[in-house]
Amino acid sequence: MKDIVRTALGGLLLACAATTVSADDRPSELRIGVFTFLSGPAAAYGMPGRNAAELLIEQINEAGGIDGVPIVPTYVDEAQGTDGVITEFRRLASDRDVMIAALSSANCLALAPVADQLRVPTLMWNCDTHQMFLEDEYEYVYRTNSSTIPEFVSYALYLLETKPDLERVAIINPDYAFGHDAAEIFKETLQTFRPEVEIVAELYPRLGASSYHTEISRLVSARPDVVFSNLWGADLENFVRQAQPRGLFQRSTVVLALGETILQRLGEDLPEGTVVGVLGDGWWQSPTARENPDTQAFVEAYHERYDEYPVFPSFKMANSIMAMKESFERALENSGGTWPSREEFVEAVAGLEMENFTGTLRIREDNDGLVDQIVGVATPADDRPYPVIGEMVRYPADLVTPPVDEDPIAWIRSLDQDFLDQLPKPGSYQ
Amino acid sequence: MLDLLALLIVDGLADAALIFFVAVGLTLVFSVLRILNVAHGSFYSIGAYVAVSIGMWVVSAGWHPYLTFPALFLSAALVAVALGPFIERYFLRWTYGKSEALQILVTFALFLVFEDLQKLVFGVQAHYEDTPLQLLGVSDIGGIFYLNYQFLLIAMAAVTVILLRLLIRRTMIGKFIVAVVADREIAQTMGINTTRVFVIAFTVGVFLAALGGALASPTSGVAPGLGAEALVLAFAVAAIGGLGQIEGAALAAVIVGLSRAAAIHFAPDFEAVVPYLVMLVVLLIRPYGLFGTVQARRI
Repeated sequence: MKDIVRTALGGLLLACAATTVSADDRPSELRIGVFTFLSGPAAAYGMPGRNAAELLIEQINEAGGIDGVPIVPTYVDEAQGTDGVITEFRRLASDRDVMIAALSSANCLALAPVADQLRVPTLMWNCDTHQMFLEDEYEYVYRTNSSTIPEFVSYALYLLETKPDLERVAIINPDYAFGHDAAEIFKETLQTFRPEVEIVAELYPRLGASSYHTEISRLVSARPDVVFSNLWGADLENFVRQAQPRGLFQRSTVVLALGETILQRLGEDLPEGTVVGVLGDGWWQSPTARENPDTQAFVEAYHERYDEYPVFPSFKMANSIMAMKESFERALENSGGTWPSREEFVEAVAGLEMENFTGTLRIREDNDGLVDQIVGVATPADDRPYPVIGEMVRYPADLVTPPVDEDPIAWIRSLDQDFLDQLPKPGSYQ
Repeated sequence: MLDLLALLIVDGLADAALIFFVAVGLTLVFSVLRILNVAHGSFYSIGAYVAVSIGMWVVSAGWHPYLTFPALFLSAALVAVALGPFIERYFLRWTYGKSEALQILVTFALFLVFEDLQKLVFGVQAHYEDTPLQLLGVSDIGGIFYLNYQFLLIAMAAVTVILLRLLIRRTMIGKFIVAVVADREIAQTMGINTTRVFVIAFTVGVFLAALGGALASPTSGVAPGLGAEALVLAFAVAAIGGLGQIEGAALAAVIVGLSRAAAIHFAPDFEAVVPYLVMLVVLLIRPYGLFGTVQARRI
């Protein structure tokens, strides 16, 4: 009888030991949630992100995954609204190792506390709002992207250099936090250096509006030197298609902060000289991107599969997935090869500094990402039926991002001529 | 000042024309079938999708670009003929006389199905075909360029009001519709085939919605969500004009269009709420809308 008990206990111990060994082993797959807009007008921005995720994850898996573990994504449509997005996040949280979430700033602000509560590492791939880490601290939430402050300060800085005599400015932005925040940042930056700048029209059409004709009449009749807009997705394309034949682009310099996303779709319908950029550094034909063979291989693979070249939301997503991979590899190195826990993973994200497809990403101590900003103007291309970005400048992230714990608007108001003198000039990024 | 007034009128009427097409179909269907058709917005967006598809086909086939104009009407007719009788026969007919909540749920379900079907067939990206707009060029009014296509829309809306009025007042089917609207049971007793009247009225309603979407597509393109946007505004306009009132829908569309234009020019913060403020004020003063009449409840 004693032998039987001894044998049984021995077997049990062996089984426990085997389980322990198995826990140290790689999981069979790394399951992640990817949140973006897959439908509705915002899909024009969200789908390129999804496509980039799909392609890059396939490429990583073909190359052996992350230390032998393949990535298995689940895509969640943000068009269902914030409540639905939170529900999906909670549902997936139990068995997803990392979330790449989200596109909409409103969704990000709602998801961040949930991510911390559920202890799910979350890399915010788009989420531009500068409110994200302004007052709240998170343990599991990081932004692998820049915020609205560097993104829209950069457009004002570009105009101060290229149109030093501008006096009348009109704004047409979408009617939610992204549009209102951008307008405030843009106005504050311009008026810090040129207090005489007058805002002659400020319009906030509803997100998803299909007709902008009355707004266009208002903008033209206000006779602005510059029209600034951070409309995006189908809204942006609609606005340009309606405004271009009505002469808005001929009478004013138009700044389209998300203009790169429509270069290929609009072709020659986007007038030469329109100020456009990429909210970050994700321009597939930037000098940095052109010099990187990995980037060009990704670009060609993307073009082959989706019959268009990747736009900057594609690179925000791809760079975020690269950041996830890099963080896992760092965590594996730190743990001596043991598959990292969620806590070990987020430790590896903190302070991350890496090269990616389009430049560099640094995660600073408030969990925010530091990314350079590229701005330029739509310029005809000899070898393509659509404009490219010319007269480019690449503003270094450190220069155009407010320091940690400093109020961003107060920081903008503190900028002076010395700050301007440090900046690279339009056309210098070639 | 005169320049500004001209801007307001042109902007307001151009906006009103687009709103009118979708609102008048909604109100026509309500007046005859007594159904508040939530799926109406889907017919608007399907009309736009079909118009863009046919327009692109006409252009890519190398046909004369002016054929894109009749293509807009052809698209609306195709949508109406394909969907109108089918939806009325298989989804709406059995709900007649049943509770309004049931009717709204059925049409809402149709709306959701159509939204997903559109994504399945046309994808989630926006589509554009603006040949009609480019062919007509622009006009300078008060120093501001307007698309001549916008004036065409205003003219089309005016012609539609007249044609609908002639249809109702001068044709036999119009008289049947009036009889059915006045009293469905007595009309049936007098030998009017009410089933046929319902099918025709519903199909005309679908045609008007699809025509609205088709005519809007050269300027605004089409993307998922277009139907919902059109429907919400159409409800407001139909309520302001008085549900079931064609002339009411026309006048309400003009009021809403002009109010939105005035808001964008003078108080942009109120642009989104203006249609609903107008609706609130009108319904407070006239609960049945501008052209609506109090009806005795039959027991």
